[in-house]
Amino acid sequence: MNTECVAMLLAGGQGSRLGSLTFNNAKPAVLFGGKYRIIDFPLSNCMNSDIDVVGVLTQYRPYILNNYIGDGSAWALDQVQGGVHILPPYMGQKGGRWYSGTADAIYQNLDFIDRFDPEYVLILSGDHIYKMDYSKMLTFHKEKEADLTIAVMDVPWEDAHRFGIVNTDDEHCIKEFQEKPEHPKSNKASMGIYIFTWKELKKALLDDAGNRESEHDFGHNVIPMLHENGKRIYAYPYSGYWRDVGTVQSYYDANMDLLDCDCDFDLSDRNFRIFSNNTSRHPQFIGPQAKIINSLICDGCIIFGRVENSILSHDVVIHKKTSLKNVIVHTGAIIEDGAILENCIVGARARIKGDTRYITDPADTTPEIHVINN
Amino acid sequence: MKNAVGLILNVDGEDDSLKDFLQHRSLSTLPFGTGKEWSLSRKTQDLSILSGSNNYHIGRLIKVNLRNLQNNRGFLDATGAEHILIATPNLVTTFDFKNAYDIHLKNDSDITLIFKKDDPLYHLKDNDLYLEFTRNRVSGLHYKREHTTGHFFTEMFFVKKSVLEELLDLSERTGDWDLMDMIKYNIDTLRVFGAQHTGYIKRVNCLENYMKTSMDLLEYEIMQELFLGKNSIHTKIKDNHPTLYNDPAQVSNSIVGSGCIIDGTINHSIIFRDTQMNVDSHIQNSIIMQRCEIGRNVNLNYVVMDKDTKISDHTTLVGKPHAPIVLKKGTVI
Repeated sequence: MNTECVAMLLAGGQGSRLGSLTFNNAKPAVLFGGKYRIIDFPLSNCMNSDIDVVGVLTQYRPYILNNYIGDGSAWALDQVQGGVHILPPYMGQKGGRWYSGTADAIYQNLDFIDRFDPEYVLILSGDHIYKMDYSKMLTFHKEKEADLTIAVMDVPWEDAHRFGIVNTDDEHCIKEFQEKPEHPKSNKASMGIYIFTWKELKKALLDDAGNRESEHDFGHNVIPMLHENGKRIYAYPYSGYWRDVGTVQSYYDANMDLLDCDCDFDLSDRNFRIFSNNTSRHPQFIGPQAKIINSLICDGCIIFGRVENSILSHDVVIHKKTSLKNVIVHTGAIIEDGAILENCIVGARARIKGDTRYITDPADTTPEIHVINN
Repeated sequence: MKNAVGLILNVDGEDDSLKDFLQHRSLSTLPFGTGKEWSLSRKTQDLSILSGSNNYHIGRLIKVNLRNLQNNRGFLDATGAEHILIATPNLVTTFDFKNAYDIHLKNDSDITLIFKKDDPLYHLKDNDLYLEFTRNRVSGLHYKREHTTGHFFTEMFFVKKSVLEELLDLSERTGDWDLMDMIKYNIDTLRVFGAQHTGYIKRVNCLENYMKTSMDLLEYEIMQELFLGKNSIHTKIKDNHPTLYNDPAQVSNSIVGSGCIIDGTINHSIIFRDTQMNVDSHIQNSIIMQRCEIGRNVNLNYVVMDKDTKISDHTTLVGKPHAPIVLKKGTVI
């Protein structure tokens, strides 16, 4: 079997900074924008980029994620030769062990990649919200005859210290890496999307696996090692919408971007759709006294109260005399008669009692966002 | 249900008031696929779409036309099931057939007709049927024009395959293709029983019934029964974004599908998927089907817009409750 490019999606992280959103659930399976899960974005990008072999590396709390991915048909990834493959850690003749780092997870699945005998491997992570045609990045990688291409985007200078920063020459060739630098020399941040030429990646992973001091991480170990060895590393410039949703605040902000008319991230664009694994649900039922302002609402919701600037996932029930403002409500939550909520996230299947008052100080323009669960 | 197979029989040209929706939309062109969305796709048997016969009618309509079955004897021969469930496709109801099937088996019935007490229709037709009971057995079938009994036939029934085959042979000899007529005239020799339907049921057989039945869904109790209960109604799944209600939107007492972008005011209406509605527009008492586009400052009252219809800015359309304005698929105004 020969496939030009295999995608490997790192989906095993715990996502502990997402608090209770990831208590029972891996980060890539966290709901986003009402109906989607975070992993829908990289999987739909693969579909829109004609990449049809995807390995999903799972480790932490994989049940919901595995169940959600299913046979991959939701993203047209249920092909006879290819498709989506879930790759958990496994036992071998010499025992087994957990994935100890991003590079180790790929190293443990060298056999999987070899089965497809690809020329290139695309490494993705399951915690970013963006739309990207990876085939354009692959063309760039081929044109540059690169060993490794890293997608980068310009970030505001004041935020540059929070990212992995790269310095390039005029030909986009990377000359220097700075990991979360105090004094960044550029504002080109790595987006955590890599295309490797497979034979270089394989060699690097075998070298890294033999290095006892390595943490087996792409950003910290493998890429610096390739750089030291003088490999051809290029930066692919990307300029669209991209958000890391690794913390509760960044997750909340990226969701709220969907309600902002000025935001250039468009879920309704038919030419680049984000697909998800849907199940059949009834349409939204909007009761006689309901009031909905600037909100995103999914099928299966029943609304009798007031909903403003909020995002409701599937099957949410909002009873009478309730008021929600700037709230994200996850699947199946029930807001009982009289509850008032502002600036918070309601977890899946939570039942919010009618006497709940979750109100923030109007003077506080950036209130801390809490996740309310039962 | 073991040993039973279901058949949904199309009804030909039942009422002229629905013709705008029915033209160029034969059942077999609808994208049912293998029936996966309704859990009707199994390794051993998928949902099958069978073509019926080219029926014509003079004077009166045949409710269950045996010609359609005669054309598909191969399907009947191939099924190993001993019982057939037959239903017409224009019913809005949720019903667990298992209870009726148990009654059918327990009584060793030839035919078990599912009935509802009292008239469940808004607008009755002359050929709607009623059952007459003697003790628990069905002893007569009457058209509405003859007399009504309060036991309304829902047009859903179980029949033994062997009995159906005999009736098919008989109709081929006599040239009478109306199954309900054959049951009516052979009621004394057949073992016919009734099974009661106690829930919501309406038949959409004319525009008025379509409109009223649609608006029933805005009653929370009815909507709950049809969509939230154990036997809820399923449909094809679409990959569209959640519905966006923008700042100027005001929506109340309505049902809205996904993929819509709404900037206007909607009251007491049904909005299908992927509809876009602009600012300063008002919709009430209307049904707006998939992918419609409504411009600015549009006013609609008692309007049914079929799929892919577009209404330009500053348009007002007002229909009547029993005679809504119907815009055909793809109309641009």
